[in-house]
Amino acid sequence: MAREQYDRDRRRFVKGAAAAGIAGLAGPSLVGAARASDTDWHESYDLVVLGSGFAGLAAGIEARQKGIERVVIFEKMPYFGGNSAINGGLFAAPGTPLQKKEGVEDSVDRMVADQVLSGRGVAYEGLLRHIAGNAADALKMCEDAGAEFHPYLQQLGGHSVPRTYQTTVNCGAGITQPLFRKCQELGVLTRNRCRFEKFVQDDAGRVVGVTLATRYYYDRDVSEGETINVKAERGVLVATGGFSQNIALRSAQDPTLTAEVTSTNAPGATGEAMLEMFRLGAVPVHLAYIQSGPWASPDEGGFGYVSNYSIYNFPHSVAINRATGRRFMNEIADRKTRADAELANRDEQGKPLPPILVTSYSEAIKHPSAKKVLRYGVGWKFDDLASLANKFEVPIGPLDDQITEYNGYVRDGQDKQFGKSMELAKGKLIEPPYMVVRLWPKVHYCQGGVEINANAEVVESSTRRAIPGLYAAGEVTGGIHGVSRLGSCSIPECLVMGITAAKTVAGGAV
Amino acid sequence: MSLNTRSRKRYVLSSVAIVLSLLLLGAYAYGELKEYAGIDGQSYHAEMHEKGRCRACHGVNEPESYPEDGSCLRCHEFEEIVAATIPETEEDRWQNPHDNLHYGKDVPCVECHGEHTNKAPLCANCHNFDFSDHEY
Repeated sequence: MAREQYDRDRRRFVKGAAAAGIAGLAGPSLVGAARASDTDWHESYDLVVLGSGFAGLAAGIEARQKGIERVVIFEKMPYFGGNSAINGGLFAAPGTPLQKKEGVEDSVDRMVADQVLSGRGVAYEGLLRHIAGNAADALKMCEDAGAEFHPYLQQLGGHSVPRTYQTTVNCGAGITQPLFRKCQELGVLTRNRCRFEKFVQDDAGRVVGVTLATRYYYDRDVSEGETINVKAERGVLVATGGFSQNIALRSAQDPTLTAEVTSTNAPGATGEAMLEMFRLGAVPVHLAYIQSGPWASPDEGGFGYVSNYSIYNFPHSVAINRATGRRFMNEIADRKTRADAELANRDEQGKPLPPILVTSYSEAIKHPSAKKVLRYGVGWKFDDLASLANKFEVPIGPLDDQITEYNGYVRDGQDKQFGKSMELAKGKLIEPPYMVVRLWPKVHYCQGGVEINANAEVVESSTRRAIPGLYAAGEVTGGIHGVSRLGSCSIPECLVMGITAAKTVAGGAV
Repeated sequence: MSLNTRSRKRYVLSSVAIVLSLLLLGAYAYGELKEYAGIDGQSYHAEMHEKGRCRACHGVNEPESYPEDGSCLRCHEFEEIVAATIPETEEDRWQNPHDNLHYGKDVPCVECHGEHTNKAPLCANCHNFDFSDHEY
């Protein structure tokens, strides 16, 4: 997204660097936290929440329900919901009513075991257990607020059983919109265009407030209102999400994630509040573990329509390398395994050759977004294999053989090529007509962030104690998922840890 | 006045209204960024630009900043705008840019419409929708 700036002298918009030096440009603060003794307060609340995604909204609701009176959510962007409002709306939880209905055997232990495996040995098992143990309650909070879910479960990559709910609108907005309304109903103040600048600490090191630039315009990176000091009597919760859209920061962590790699994230996911927490001594954890989504399409921006379409269809589809006409991965392996496998799809010059996901049209069209995928030119239908092979320049002989071979695995219930679980592929042979989308990973999720404990308190690096008055929840925190988060495990994490933070604040001494 | 005359009068009035609406729609469809006294502005607001009525949106005649969010709604009736962009089919109901899936009715106007610069719609960040009717 191009960011433009407004040149007041010429009353024109100018692009990028040319605008540098204009007075009033918002920028990072050059000093650490301000001192409370030097601060004139403009506003005062009990709980100040930064960010209006799943974690911030859930915290707002829980805080009010636990009797915290003056709660405010500040949002940097012009609209509320953060990256949560454009995510896939997929929600994993063990021991849910739908699992009971479908006869799925599952448990907190089993969900945590799946996550630990994908975390490749460095996930925080204790926090995962806390989250899985409270996920069903968080789901209920969403339903109570009016969120609606499909009446079926999905089994996402890396999950050993179907345990994933999805909103009926196939998007996180099916949760953020009801939670946002609920917050407003409960008297939580919501303020947009407020860019967090820095924390305010008292002499004992307690975080007692924040400084914010108001009337902030993200697209021009300028604040046109006054800078305000906001007092937080009982705590500040940072729920500002990841930094997938901060190209300099993410490529410093992982040099392969240059500007050429696009992202599924909302443009505001740039991580400045996380960096300010580091200034206070928060522990940076796993910042280089940045996950790309293997279900994204190079034919549309962001998460788009294809992502959810692919997630749904992967279990009964084949992903094909266009140079060889062969499969190249287990289509429901965890995200990192698949993204790495996809990135290896190159032409002879080493340029990306996005692989194709081939699905029987009769199955593909069952996904609620499938019609949109076709209509907006990000997926295609073919009556026969020859026209499909022709369109994507795939050698038809090997492709035909591959599909015949794979259909044998569908019949036998065993994938001898890549060990894919064929449970959800049962009876679903790949047959014409076909539906096809192209795949190419997009930067999706930052596993890294600040270290928190099970009370959602931010841990200080030298003392190993909680920084008083400072809480964090959601993608801004690090370590919980280890190397690679499983799909549909972020929503329960954000909600549960947002709720946890509010509970800690409510239970703590004023 | 006979009933007949009254209904004829109503017919004439409504015809005039339709013609005026069509003219207005025509003006909208051909809206473009033009220079007015050194400042670029959208042609559908030509009158304001020609008369230098910055105050109409900015509240002052020597503006230093963007108008407050919601300034557009001092003249434009938001629910009418929402109604005018209701998608034709139930399947597309959440693709109303003014009452959309992700943010409901809460996106400030200037995120998709620029008075002094053309803007792409917010939806275009992720979706290949047909934006041919979008007024910058």
